[in-house]
Amino acid sequence: MGVELTWLQLCGLVVLGAVAGGVGSLTGIGGGLILTPVLTLLFGVPIHQAIGTSLCCVIATSSGAAASYVEHYLSDIRLGMTLELTTTLGAVTGSLVAARLSREALAMLFAAFLTYAGSTMARRSLQAEAVDPGGVEPYEVKRLPLGLCGSGAAGMLSGMLGVGGGVIKVPLMYLGMGVPFKVATATSNLMIGVTAAASAFIYYARGDVWPLITAPAAVGVYLGAALGARLLRRTPSRWLIVLFSFIMFYFAVIMIWKSFHGGFAR
Amino acid sequence: MHDLTEEKARSAIAAILRYGSLISTLVMALGLILVFLRAPASFGPGGHLGSFRTLFPRVIRLDVAAVAELGILLLLVTPILRIIVAGVAFGLERDYKYVFISLGVLAVVLGSIRLAMF
Repeated sequence: MGVELTWLQLCGLVVLGAVAGGVGSLTGIGGGLILTPVLTLLFGVPIHQAIGTSLCCVIATSSGAAASYVEHYLSDIRLGMTLELTTTLGAVTGSLVAARLSREALAMLFAAFLTYAGSTMARRSLQAEAVDPGGVEPYEVKRLPLGLCGSGAAGMLSGMLGVGGGVIKVPLMYLGMGVPFKVATATSNLMIGVTAAASAFIYYARGDVWPLITAPAAVGVYLGAALGARLLRRTPSRWLIVLFSFIMFYFAVIMIWKSFHGGFAR
Repeated sequence: MHDLTEEKARSAIAAILRYGSLISTLVMALGLILVFLRAPASFGPGGHLGSFRTLFPRVIRLDVAAVAELGILLLLVTPILRIIVAGVAFGLERDYKYVFISLGVLAVVLGSIRLAMF
C-alpha cells in the first residue's frame, strides 16, 4: 500500500505545508484543519494516513510558536501540565478509536469538526476585538474539574482527527476557567505538542505516518509558520480568517459528499 | 518581578522546543535532499517502510525514507523532552505537586509508546 510520488508532488507537499503553517500562524486556524482535507482530496492520501501526517505537522507548528510564548511569560506552564494529564489520555483513546472507524465515518467526523471550527473562527473574527488589552492581569484558575474533562475531550478529538484542538481548549480556559484570552491561547498552544505526541507514536507504529508524505509537509509547515510569524505581528486581518472559514466549509461539504458517494473507498 | 529559577526554567523549555523542532526539520530536509539526489523521476511507495527496530540500520545506510523517518521521530520526541525539563524545573523549585503531575503526563506518553510498540 502506498501512494506513488513524483518530484512535483513532493514539492507540492512542501508548498501545502508552508501554506498551512503560514495561515496557521497568521489566523490562528490550526494547520491540521487545512492539511488533512487537502491531503485526502488533492493528493489522494487515505484519511487515516492524512491524519497521521497532520499530527506530526501540528507538533512542528506548536513547538515554534510555544517557544516564544513560554519566554514571554504568556503560557501557564503549570496549568498546561495539569490539563495535559487528560489531553494525553484523551489523545491515546482517540487514536485507538480512529483506527476502528471506516474512512467514510472518519471523514464525516472530520467534516463536522471543520464546520464547527470554521463557524467559531468566523464568529470570533466578526465580533469586536474587546480582548487583548496588552499585558496580562493576575488571575486565578477556576473550575479545574471542568477544565480537565473538557481537555480530555479536546485531546480525544486531537488523537482522532489529527488537529490541535485549540478551538475547544481556548474557549474552555477563557470562558470556563477564568484564564485571560492571551494566556489561554498560549497555554493551548504549549499543550498541543505533548497531546499530539501521545497519539502520533501510535499512528507511527501502525504505519499511518508515511515518511515521504509527512517529511515534506512538516518541513513546509515549519518554514511557513516561521515566515507567517515574521510577516505579521499585529492581529490577523479579518478577511483572511473569513476567507479561510469559507474554505473550511467548502472542504467539509466535499468530504461529506465524497463519503456518501464512495469517494474514500479506493 | 519574576524569580530567577522560573526564568531559567522558561528559557530551558523554550530552547528545547525551538532547537528540537529546528533539528528535526533539518534532518527531514536532509532526507528530502537525499530523495532528490537519488531517486528516479518517480520513486517507490510513500508508505511506511519499517519500524523502530529497523530504523537505525537503515539510517546508517542512508536509506532516504529512513532519514526522513528519523527526523519525524525527533519531532515526536521534542515534546517528551519538554515534559522532562519542566518536571526537573519544578523539582528545583521544590514544587513537588507539579513534579508528580509532570511524572503522570510522562507516564501516559511513555505508555502510549509502549502501546504503540506491542
